[in-house]
Amino acid sequence: MHTPREPKLIEELDRMQQEPLLPIEKKLITYSIVLGVTLLALLAWISWTFFEVPG
Amino acid sequence: MTTEHSPFWRSEDWWSVYLGLLVFLLSLGVLGGLDLLGWGVKFSVWADPLKALKAVSPEYAGLPGYLALLGTYAAMLVLTLVGAHFLGLDLKRFLVGFTVIFAVSALCLFLGHYGYIAATPDKREALGLGWSLNLTGEAGYILALLAGLTLGNLFPAATRRLAEATRPEWYIKTAIVIMGAALGVKAASATGLAGTIIFRGLCAIVEAYLIYWALVYFLARKYFGFSREWAAPLASGVSICGVSAAIATGAAIRARPVVPIMVSSLVVVFAVVELVLLPFLAQQFLYHEPMVAGAWMGLAVKTDGAAVASGAIVDSLVRAKALAEEGVVYKEGWMLMTATTTKMFIDVFIGIWSFLLAVIWCTKIDAGKSGQRVGLGHIWERFPKFVLGYVLTFACLLVAVLTWPELQAVAATATDEGNVFRVLFFTMTFFSIGLISDFRKLWEEGIGRLAAVYLISLFGFIIWIGLFISWVFFHGIKPPLGNG
Repeated sequence: MHTPREPKLIEELDRMQQEPLLPIEKKLITYSIVLGVTLLALLAWISWTFFEVPG
Repeated sequence: MTTEHSPFWRSEDWWSVYLGLLVFLLSLGVLGGLDLLGWGVKFSVWADPLKALKAVSPEYAGLPGYLALLGTYAAMLVLTLVGAHFLGLDLKRFLVGFTVIFAVSALCLFLGHYGYIAATPDKREALGLGWSLNLTGEAGYILALLAGLTLGNLFPAATRRLAEATRPEWYIKTAIVIMGAALGVKAASATGLAGTIIFRGLCAIVEAYLIYWALVYFLARKYFGFSREWAAPLASGVSICGVSAAIATGAAIRARPVVPIMVSSLVVVFAVVELVLLPFLAQQFLYHEPMVAGAWMGLAVKTDGAAVASGAIVDSLVRAKALAEEGVVYKEGWMLMTATTTKMFIDVFIGIWSFLLAVIWCTKIDAGKSGQRVGLGHIWERFPKFVLGYVLTFACLLVAVLTWPELQAVAATATDEGNVFRVLFFTMTFFSIGLISDFRKLWEEGIGRLAAVYLISLFGFIIWIGLFISWVFFHGIKPPLGNG
């Protein structure tokens, strides 16, 4: 009986097409990092200012 | 047959909830004077092998250790066989696979508890030992992982025969549901600290996800020329959640199934590397900051199994080091709770993140190409259901002990009995992770480009950003002190 051949990684990568970064992807990356860094500062400040560490 | 069953019966995720809750409910028998699980086997640190195994409850003190082990095996086998039936697995192959995996795991736990390997300094005198490696009984986990790696990579044909029962995600999720009860009892003894861990764990993962994912995606797209179909699952797999995130993201952007599968095979291999390295690094450099170490495991180690497993190891190693170096005895389980909490928030976040990606891909990137519609049901579909089981067992015992403080001791006994199954499921997870970690993948043609993104991302910034974020939120927070 014929069974389908398992795909090879090298063939899949060779088949991959070049795709330039779209403006929406650049936005996703930039907003994500900016939001992440801003939240890091904000949540760290909230945590240490308003939520006392139990002794 | 099983194809007629609803998703509630066909999902490994739901079955981890059912099995975990059943063990939890049976363990609660002691609250009503019924010791239903006291016959479960407990492994103790030993110098005399005959003293290694015994029943967990004094009520069953007359039961020989080997019978307690056999009883535990039989109970776990029956429970998982029922699940395997509904999951549509080949029951005969499952039975054989489960038996081998259980037997090797139990052997590793037994050897891992050998005094020269496991004993902490405070236990050496009682065991009549002059020295020991100070690794605690959790050394059994490492042995199970090594055994799995050896078998999986050197004897692939034998490993394939165990495949039906090689299910690390099922085992670890069941263990996590059981563990929720024990952590609930611990949390009741220090509600302020538990609340702090939960709040800060949530804070830590939000920005970790946002920063990690975007950086890996950018790196893969810009510098390694990966297409969007490859870069998105790769970013999710490498950056945070491993296999489940790669698969969820692949589905969200309608990638071909082969893409997340290939990414996942790499994720599993590197998760093992992290699992072996990071807990020992944490022991060396973070024993002053135990909760930072726990959160770091949750934020840096991929896949549920490896992350929670590394939390368990770090809990033991850091406590042993703190005792040996500073004479400080931390209570068990708080680092594990921190690692588990952060990891579970990450898992919950997968649903939200894959929903966002699906919306962006559907409306902006693939707009007009497919008739795909994205609804909020997508979040529920991706929601890790075992988290519900964990929250339920955690909340039940937390609320019960806070409401009736006199239940604290008996609730601890109940969770000790459930813990028998948690420990064995944990060990089986380690062994199974080893079995499925196919290091030959690293020699596959074309892997270099994929592995390069992974290595640069993981060791270049993910581990260190994870450490930094863990430090920001958890430094200075200590587990409660124990009695030694």
